[in-house]
Amino acid sequence: MTDEGTRVSGGEITIVDLTKRFGEVAAVDGINLEMPPAEFFTMVGPSGCGKTTTLRMIAGFERPTEGQILLDGVDMSQTPPHKRDVNTVFQSYALFPHKTVAENVGFGLKYKRVTKAEYASRVAEALALVQLTGYEKRSPTQISGGQQQRVALARALVLKPKVLLLDEPLSALDARLRKDLQVELKSLQQNLGISFVFVTHDQEEALTMSDRVAVMNEGRVEQCGPPREIYEAPATLFVADFLGVSNLIAAESAGSGADGCRLAVGDFSLRAEQGELTATGSVKAMIRPERVRIEPHGTPGENRLPGMVEHSVFLGSFQEVIVRLATGGIVKSVVANDGTTPFPQGTPVSVHLPADGLRVLVGPPAAEPTPAVADLA
Amino acid sequence: MSLLASFFRNPWGRPRWLAVITTIYIVWSIIPVSIAILFAFNASRSRSNFTGFSMRWFNGATGSAFHDEALRHALIHSLELAVLSVIVATPLGLFLALGLQRWRGRGAGMTNLLMLLPLVTPEIVMGVALLLLFISVFGFIGLGTTAQAIGQITFSLSYVVVIVRGRLVSIGKDYEEAAADLGAPPFDALRRVLLPLLGPAIIASAAIVFATSLDDFVITQYLSNGPDTQTVPMLLYSVSRGAPTPALNALATIALVITIGTLVAAFLVFRRFSSSGGQAATEIATLDL
Repeated sequence: MTDEGTRVSGGEITIVDLTKRFGEVAAVDGINLEMPPAEFFTMVGPSGCGKTTTLRMIAGFERPTEGQILLDGVDMSQTPPHKRDVNTVFQSYALFPHKTVAENVGFGLKYKRVTKAEYASRVAEALALVQLTGYEKRSPTQISGGQQQRVALARALVLKPKVLLLDEPLSALDARLRKDLQVELKSLQQNLGISFVFVTHDQEEALTMSDRVAVMNEGRVEQCGPPREIYEAPATLFVADFLGVSNLIAAESAGSGADGCRLAVGDFSLRAEQGELTATGSVKAMIRPERVRIEPHGTPGENRLPGMVEHSVFLGSFQEVIVRLATGGIVKSVVANDGTTPFPQGTPVSVHLPADGLRVLVGPPAAEPTPAVADLA
Repeated sequence: MSLLASFFRNPWGRPRWLAVITTIYIVWSIIPVSIAILFAFNASRSRSNFTGFSMRWFNGATGSAFHDEALRHALIHSLELAVLSVIVATPLGLFLALGLQRWRGRGAGMTNLLMLLPLVTPEIVMGVALLLLFISVFGFIGLGTTAQAIGQITFSLSYVVVIVRGRLVSIGKDYEEAAADLGAPPFDALRRVLLPLLGPAIIASAAIVFATSLDDFVITQYLSNGPDTQTVPMLLYSVSRGAPTPALNALATIALVITIGTLVAAFLVFRRFSSSGGQAATEIATLDL
């Protein structure tokens, strides 16, 4: 991070009861969001969750059916896009193919009342910022995808917007380039001190880059908070399922006691210390694979379920152990690679689900598994 | 025989029988035109017996395309109508296409259908309809050059709309949104971004309007008010039934050269100025008449 003095003030966006209907369908269904200034804010969710529509309403390309979009306290929901102090990096980049790289970057400066000298210096500055000095005369069709992405970034940043909107800007790039640009985008945001509103369907991207994440589903915000909070304490089954890998075990809750929530899984009982401890009836017990302990069969103690190793997948630095519980469910566990292969297939084991990692959740889970879950399954 | 068989039985190359059929088709369609052109250069009056090469039917002192008053007048009138059509139909069609593209409400589908109607209506039906229109409803316009131009624009407008809209669809709305996002008011977004991107489509449709205008016979004939408003196709049609000379062939050759020249020029401009020249070429090729 640079010192506070060089920072430009980032804009603060407040979304109030924002709704967008296309005919009968509500793409965005009355959401409320606070996007603090100078933060990297990410909206993440499966396709059709309303994240892109929300971004397009902030940019001004879609007119909200209801609700307000405040930029630094001023409602701009009815302002046309060319009069808004926000700029967008498009998923397709939308670089003008009939203009050079420099002309693309300078496009918006024509509306900023700058002198010729200032125009030239700001274009040069913006290109330097994205490390594309020397590419001024090139056509956008002659440069690589990663370079196009940088030009799109420079074209938006040259206008010094209060808020930069990014619509899945990395989705068209290959995995390696994507990783590099993730880091670069994040440091760019920190150095410039402007607010970024980022849209992605990639949960990993959302977790690694953001100061704050809003998980969206079916036009609503499921949960909004810092990445760690969302990962460690998912508020809903959808969030637990969508972000990262989760074990979801069907259980019957007997309600809360003095030391947490009592759960019944088949004939076994569990104690959970996280989540909706007061819920009763049919619930899900959720635990992250890295919190699950695999112990030798018959280890005594609470929160231990007997099972048998169904799969053991070697993944280099760690090993994934998939256990079939005696009650029928499946539990995934991640075991660090310490040089041994402790749990070959078919081994009877005891699965320890520590009470402080066990979370009680109610409600419907995510409709489709995220790619990460599918990969590991 | 086995040589011929092995020529066709070529499992690795392109299917040769397709090439043969294509060649036969091209030769078949070019032969009549070539013969007509050949006799434009005949030294004698005959249109069936070639006696030697001559330019007399183009620029000879008597009876040539350039010196025959009627032939020359027809050529000028044809070009006049073609230029008028291009000047009016291209911008009008462009704005219609832009408007229709944005119009997503009720009635948009109906208008789409209406735009295509002139392309599928038999020309003779349209000719008769326009004739009645100009005689009764628009009697103050009457028949003649204005009526002919309006008639041609009525249907050539559809080509412009279809071509430009096709290009608009492939361009998508991202560029326009990007322009607006960067601060460009709607008119600027149109002028600085959309029009340059539409350039190839505009040139292609102008060329097609020009070529169809030169070729048009039925509507132009119906809306003509006499020898003063005779075009090249009309003249060819009337004279070829009387006492034709190779001067007619010469005139037809000139018209053909202008038509092909326009399309080739448009194609070259396309390639030169558009980043997606291939697509423009397809637009011309698929709509070539």
